[in-house]
Amino acid sequence: MGVSWRKPSVYVPSSDGSGGWARVRWLLPLLPIAVFLICWQVLSDANLISRSLFAAPTQVVDELVALHFRELPTRSLLLSHIAATLKRLLVASFIGILSGTLGGVFIGTRRGLYRFFDPLITLFMPIPGIALAPLFIIWLGFGDPTIIAVGSIAAFFPLVYNTAAGVRSIDPQLVRAAHIMGASRTAVLFDVYLPWAAGHVLMGVKLGLARCWRTIVAVEFVAAASWGLGYMIWDAAEYLRAGGVYGGIALLVVIYLVIEKGLVNTLEKYTVEKWGIVRR
Amino acid sequence: MRVGVDQERLEGMSPRKRVNRGLIRAREFLFPFLVVGLSWELLVRFQVIGLRTLPPPSAILVEFWDLVWNKGVLIHHLSRSLYRLTIGYLLAVGLGIAVGTLLAVRKTLREMFMPILSMLISVPTIAWVPVLLITIGLGDNTVVTAIFLGGFFAIAYNTMRGIEMVNKDQVNAARLMGVSGVKLFASVLLPGSLVSIITGLRLGIGYSWRALVGGEMLSALVEWGIGKMIYQARFWNSVAVMFVGLMVISVSGLLLDRVLLKWLEKETVERWGMLAER
Repeated sequence: MGVSWRKPSVYVPSSDGSGGWARVRWLLPLLPIAVFLICWQVLSDANLISRSLFAAPTQVVDELVALHFRELPTRSLLLSHIAATLKRLLVASFIGILSGTLGGVFIGTRRGLYRFFDPLITLFMPIPGIALAPLFIIWLGFGDPTIIAVGSIAAFFPLVYNTAAGVRSIDPQLVRAAHIMGASRTAVLFDVYLPWAAGHVLMGVKLGLARCWRTIVAVEFVAAASWGLGYMIWDAAEYLRAGGVYGGIALLVVIYLVIEKGLVNTLEKYTVEKWGIVRR
Repeated sequence: MRVGVDQERLEGMSPRKRVNRGLIRAREFLFPFLVVGLSWELLVRFQVIGLRTLPPPSAILVEFWDLVWNKGVLIHHLSRSLYRLTIGYLLAVGLGIAVGTLLAVRKTLREMFMPILSMLISVPTIAWVPVLLITIGLGDNTVVTAIFLGGFFAIAYNTMRGIEMVNKDQVNAARLMGVSGVKLFASVLLPGSLVSIITGLRLGIGYSWRALVGGEMLSALVEWGIGKMIYQARFWNSVAVMFVGLMVISVSGLLLDRVLLKWLEKETVERWGMLAER
């Protein structure tokens, strides 16, 4: 039965004599992944699972390497796909985050506006981005404009929602105090509202980036003309190149982890933690 | 909890007052849509927006009525979607709670599988669809599996977190009194972690709903479904049908969340009330 709470962990120091075990314990998480990959490889080498449906790990690597080298003197196909997706992510999330934050501050500081826009946001926010794709394909055609438009809409809503919530949660006394002490409107906005709402805004940035990323990949499945990770995966699936599909998905995971751990956490460190308002 | 307070306030009111309050709320909720719809209609009518492909709201409503009544296909699309959602989501709930509990209770299992789990969580649900298309096929099963995967990870993760945060003293006390196994889960762990589990269920239904729409759009052999309706509308350039589809998706997504949330949260409030009486 459950081991974890039989002895209260507080009384057990982390290095209680079992030093050797503790030293290799961090390897434990890697073990199942390694076992999984090795089993996969062995099973498909023995033709027990279909290579065309579940590409073996070596096949996946081969496919990605081949994609990288195919037209290499002029360009790397693999890196071009990645660059196309990242460029779209950059532009779309910039538009979405900026307009979402501004919109959130705008409607969050005015009670009437908030009551007007709240129902609209509630109803539009849950619409999945990919459902908007056909509409925007008709309006903007295949390719970048559609993908970026849908991606920025996806990033916009979490930002507007969270920023408005953050701005509304401010203690009115603080705003009044700042006004009494002679702060101008812009000063109040930047020195009172934004730092106060920074935790919320950052939460919105996290959610918005994640949504933007997902949506861009999804829309690339249906609306990309010739580049992008989503296009690469979709193309591989159409021609039943399983290696390309799994490789593309692995790339999606790795790139997103880098973005989240690297970018968002750094941002958090330099803004919210510096101002000392991290909520735990 | 805000809902709890609302509930109390509602209970003290006379039925008539309650209806009035509901009406005021509904009016407040619908007013913005009326304003937006009217101004959109006027802008299109007076050709301020000259987009050939942007129909006025009146045309969309006519199309809606057409799809509901004259052609009668909307109900069919929606019921197929809801049928898939029910199967996939229930699977996700069952397995998600089971796996989450297992990972929370067994420390070794958690340390072994957390890395794989957190890796799989960060795969966008929609990215599973191409994999499923080549392994499972182009039909219904792919969509249902996508729905399942969408909900499963959120539910499993939140269940695990919730059970980890259950008061250890209560668990130890229950153990001392000889409670273990399924009974321990049902009478200590589950009530103690219900808030977190419900968060997982809400997140899960959102992800599942999104996976449903995406899966239907991408699976070639699926003929009916609300996502398919939007996707097919592209081939005859009928923007009005797309707007009807988007409307249905957003309203039913919201209703699912609100109805499910309301019901479940009432259950928790009741459970808490029961606990307080003891």
